[in-house]
This record gives sequence, structure tokens and C-alpha cells, in this order.
Amino acid sequence: MKSVFSIAAGLCLAVLSAGVHADNAGVGSTDGLGEANGKEIYSRICQGCHMPNAQGAVGAGRYPKLSGDPALVSWQYAALRVINGKGAMPAFGRTGGPEEFPAPVHLSDAQVADVVNYVRSHFGNRYKANVTTDQVATLPHPESVHAP
Amino acid sequence: MQNDTAPTDLRRRDLLRMIGMTAGTTAMYQAMSALGVAAESPYRGPIDLTGTPKGASILILGAGMAGMTAAYELRNAGYQVQVLEYNGRSGGRNWSLRGGDRYTELGGATQECKFDKDLYINPGPWRIPYHHRGMLNYCRMLGVPLEAFVQVNYNAYLHSSKAFGGKPQRYRDVKADYQGHVAELLAKATSQHALDATVSKEDQAILIESLREWGVLDKDLAYSSSIAASERRGFKKNPGGGLSARPIPSEPMGLNDVLTSKLWRHIPAGDIFDMQTALFQPVGGMGRIGEAFGRELGPLIRYNSKVIDIHQDPAGVTATYEDTSAPGTRLTARADWCVCTIPLSVLSQIPMNVGTPMTAAINAVPYASAIKVGLQFKRRFWEEDDHIYGGITYTDLPITNIGYPNTGYHSSGKGVLLGAYIWGLDAMEFTSMAPEDRVKKVVEYGSQIHPQYPEEFDNGIAVAWHRSPFTLGCMGVWTDATRAKHYDNLCQIDERIVLAGEHASFIGGWQEGAVTSALDAIGRLHQRAVAQGAKA
Repeated sequence: MKSVFSIAAGLCLAVLSAGVHADNAGVGSTDGLGEANGKEIYSRICQGCHMPNAQGAVGAGRYPKLSGDPALVSWQYAALRVINGKGAMPAFGRTGGPEEFPAPVHLSDAQVADVVNYVRSHFGNRYKANVTTDQVATLPHPESVHAP
Repeated sequence: MQNDTAPTDLRRRDLLRMIGMTAGTTAMYQAMSALGVAAESPYRGPIDLTGTPKGASILILGAGMAGMTAAYELRNAGYQVQVLEYNGRSGGRNWSLRGGDRYTELGGATQECKFDKDLYINPGPWRIPYHHRGMLNYCRMLGVPLEAFVQVNYNAYLHSSKAFGGKPQRYRDVKADYQGHVAELLAKATSQHALDATVSKEDQAILIESLREWGVLDKDLAYSSSIAASERRGFKKNPGGGLSARPIPSEPMGLNDVLTSKLWRHIPAGDIFDMQTALFQPVGGMGRIGEAFGRELGPLIRYNSKVIDIHQDPAGVTATYEDTSAPGTRLTARADWCVCTIPLSVLSQIPMNVGTPMTAAINAVPYASAIKVGLQFKRRFWEEDDHIYGGITYTDLPITNIGYPNTGYHSSGKGVLLGAYIWGLDAMEFTSMAPEDRVKKVVEYGSQIHPQYPEEFDNGIAVAWHRSPFTLGCMGVWTDATRAKHYDNLCQIDERIVLAGEHASFIGGWQEGAVTSALDAIGRLHQRAVAQGAKA
């Protein structure tokens, strides 16, 4: 008796949760970021807020202007922002479970290095694009839900 | 599947596979609960605020659902209330875009809504479940008429770009066939003694009886083409009258087709507590609630007021703000107390002298990316051609949803669909596009489901929430870890300031979260005000 009930309950939960997921289907239905490079990542993600020309924007709050941002002198500053986020900016170094909604968008250390290099060497910024994956890996990353 | 496997084992394996599928997703429900998405509204009726100290004043920041709930109740309780609102309208994310509206997003792109009269899109929330009693209560009190929101439409589509050659399937067919096949497997497993160890003989008989009914199984416990099964999934030829009356049963899809299509993942959308029938929408658009609230509060709300500093001292709270119609102006508003409903995405950028725990909490909540796109078509082809009256089509394409209007059925003239409701990475990518490109892409994707799109498309409007000047994002995203560490600190009163909004709730992203968080916050603030008032 007990077992039937638990099987049935399991089904209900699963059905419910699958449905919750379903309403958000499409998340990850594109091919994901794959091996996207710094330029692609900037144009597919970053420019949503920081704008195509990296000029940022101002409303009730603001999105920082990355063009000519003096803080970019520090690659660690830039990489840590991408990895850990800040305030409303999500932490792109964080991996989440497939059950998380909305599904977090994760950038690999190589992608973080690449997008940091891209931003630091474009939009009027003139730093050397020499940050490596290994350097990014040494920075503190956010806790991941499903640590290996 | 291998041919050399005995049918019994084969079926048992299928059953185990299904149970495996289900077990793997229970974690998902727990995660959703932690996010608050499956939680019930704690609303228990109108708030009772008595004993307001004479002359006590409250400053409310933000005229969205939370701010206006607080303003309405506190005003009625005798407080002097003033509300500062960034936008030139009330409602916040409670908002409808109608023909003639203009919307300028961050970055400067301006879209003109070119919908016909009475047609609209809700860029934010679009449904109110029956148990969101706070929202329903304010709709009643404000005289906002409601109509049914259709969540489940058996004739809407479930669509996978990777199954059935990309041809959309009717929800009715997928549900009936999934249910029928699962019932058959479980009934046969039971009758073949696979469950003997866990189910008593008496219960096995009842279980089989229930599965027969649930899945429409025949006398051999098989799910197959029949008049009875067609009463669920529809007929090849529907029963009618006269000489052409005789129905012809339809042919169910095979188990393998149903399973590998993964369309089953969309079946339970309407079983989710927040999406269970009955659901409602305000007549004329969700924004009718915010508009009615705004009219009710009248001159208590000061619009076009951008808060740039919040400072409390032992005697009160001062907000410094700019009149956005006169940039550079510095004005101040002061009151004994402050209810701040500014989204954390914005509040985290405003200097405010609260303690470290609340500051840390304000900074700990990233904002989700989401997009809604409204599309106007020259005719209501979804009704005329596809017989879909309201409800939602779900797809694995990035647009995820096609929402059909739950009103104005059979209207001649044009009609507006929700063409896309996008989250996550796809939302970020759509946000990164120019508004007209978002619309174009959504029309392209939708054409895979409704081939009428290219011919019938008229115009569209796309709202990307990360480009929204008043929220800089769609909603706060909590995890178990951030909730454990910061949630209580976010909601605690800090001297004279308390926060409210969907971000300060366990019903994240739902308006009921904003309403119940506001009621909870002002209840606590009122107690403090009464206690102080007595001391004075």
C-alpha cells in the first residue's frame, strides 16, 4: 500500500516538476553557447545590457559603460565581474542544475578569458588581449550547485 | 528495442525507464519550491491596521503592485502617504502595451505599438490564479473586471522541432496517448505480478480498474484505436448528425513516438499550482489593475521621480530624487517611515544607509532575463483555421510559448498573439538584438508552427526586460543558498526602512508576491509606528 502510494506520489511530483520546466522550454533549446568566442559572447550576451557599443545605459539604474572604463586596467577586476556577477548582474562562472529556473548561463574559464580580452581590447580600450584560461582559473569562482 | 526480448521484460523495462525519468525530476520540484514558484499565497483577507499615531507619515518608493498595495492600505489606516514613481504611469511591471503606446528601452530604441483598438500585449504578468487572493481582492475592491485566462487548451499545439517532422501535435492527442500508454504498461506490469512485492492483491485490482479508466484501456488492458479512446483524443471523423453521422475512430501514436518526442514534458503545465484553473486576466489587459490603483491613489503618487539617494536618521527618512522631465533637479521627500519597493537591480545602485546585512542581501540577487513579443495579425487565423480559442501552444523553439488571446473570440479584423515568452540564454540573445530583429526572428520561428504567419503578419512589439529602464531585468532570482543567507535580512525592518516587492517574497515573479510582501512589511512597520507613537 505504502509503496503504491510512493510510486504514485513520485509520478505526481515528476509530472508537476516536468511541467514547471516545460513552461520554460526553449531555455537551452538553441545550441547553447558552444565554443563561442569573446566577440560572439559579447554580441550575444553582454550587449543586451552594456549595449553594442559598450556605452552602457541609464534609466532608474544604470548599466556601466565598458568603453573607456578605467577599472579595466585590471584584468582580474573584469574577469571577477564576469565570473561572480555583481548586484543584478548574474554570475557567469556559476553552473546550476538543469532543474534551476531560469537556467543559469555558464561561461567556461576559456570563454571568460576570451570575452575579457575582447572587451579590454575593443570599444576604445587598448589593453593587451593576453589573459589566459589558466589565469582565469586561479580566480575565486562562485559555489556551484552540482560541484564535481 | 531488441527483438529477442520477451514482451514482458520489454514492457517492464519501459516502465522502469519511465519511473526513472520521473525520479530524476523530483529534484526539480524541490528546487522550484525553494524558488518559491510552487508556494501558496499567504493572503488571508484584508489587513487590519488600527491605532495609527496621529500625523504619522510614510514614504513609499515605487508605484508597482507592492508600492500601491502599501500606499492604499496605509492611506486607509490614516497615514500621510507619498509615493515616488520613476515611470510616468502607475503599475510598474503590471503593464499592457496598446495601440498608440510608445516604449523606449535602454539604449534608446523606441517602439510604437501599432495594434488596433482594444488589442494589447502584457509584457509582464498575464495570469492570476484563483488562489492569488491578494491580487483578486484588489481587483474586486478597485472594480477591475476579470475574465477567464485559458491555460490549458486541448486543441492548442505541443511542438517539437525534432519530432513528428516538426509538425505540431494537438495537446489532446499527446495527453491521451501518453496517458493511455503509461496506463497500459502499468496495468500489464501489475497483472503480470511485477508489483506483487509492493502492492496487495486487493489494491492491484483497484489499481488496474483505475488505470483502465484513466488511460481508456480495452478489455485486454491495451490502449488502442477505439471509439472510447477517441472520446479522449478526438476522432478521425467526428460524430455528427444525419446520414454523415457515423464517427470514425482516430489512430493513437505509438509509445515510442510519444516518448522520444518529449512532448510529454508540456502536459502538466496546467497542473502546476500557480497555473491551475481557474485563472483570470483583467478585461482589457493586465495593466488595468495598475491603472485603477493609480486612479485610486491620485495625487499621492508623484510620477517621473527618479530616486537617487535614501537616507534615514533617528527621526525619519529622506529620499532625494530627480524629476526626470527636468534633468538635474534635486528634490527631497521626507516621512517618518519608508516602504521601498524599488527592484533590487536598481536599489543596489542607490546609496541608502541601512545595515550591512540588508545591504548584502540587496546585492545578492541577480535579475532574470526575459522577453515577451506581441504580434498583430491581419486575421484571427488560429481561430478561423486552427480552431484554437485562447490558451497556449508550447514549443522547444526559443519562442517557447504562443499565447492566444483569451478574449474577443470570433472578432472580425485583426488579432494579437503573444508570439514569444523567452527566458535564460535565449532571452539574453534576443535582448542583444534590435527590437525589430527580435520581432522578425519570432515571426520566423512561429511560422514553423503556424504557416499562416508570413502572409498574415501585420506588426509587432518586443519587450526585453533587461532593457527596461524601470527594472533593469525581469525578476529577482534566488537560489537555496542565497535565500538561506540573505532572505530574512532583506525583509527585516532596518530602523525606519522596510523593503517590499516580488523580490521580497517566495512567489518570485508573481504579482501576488509583491502584494503579500507589501502587506507583511506594512503590518510590521505599523506595529513599530504604533509602539513609537505611544512613546512620544
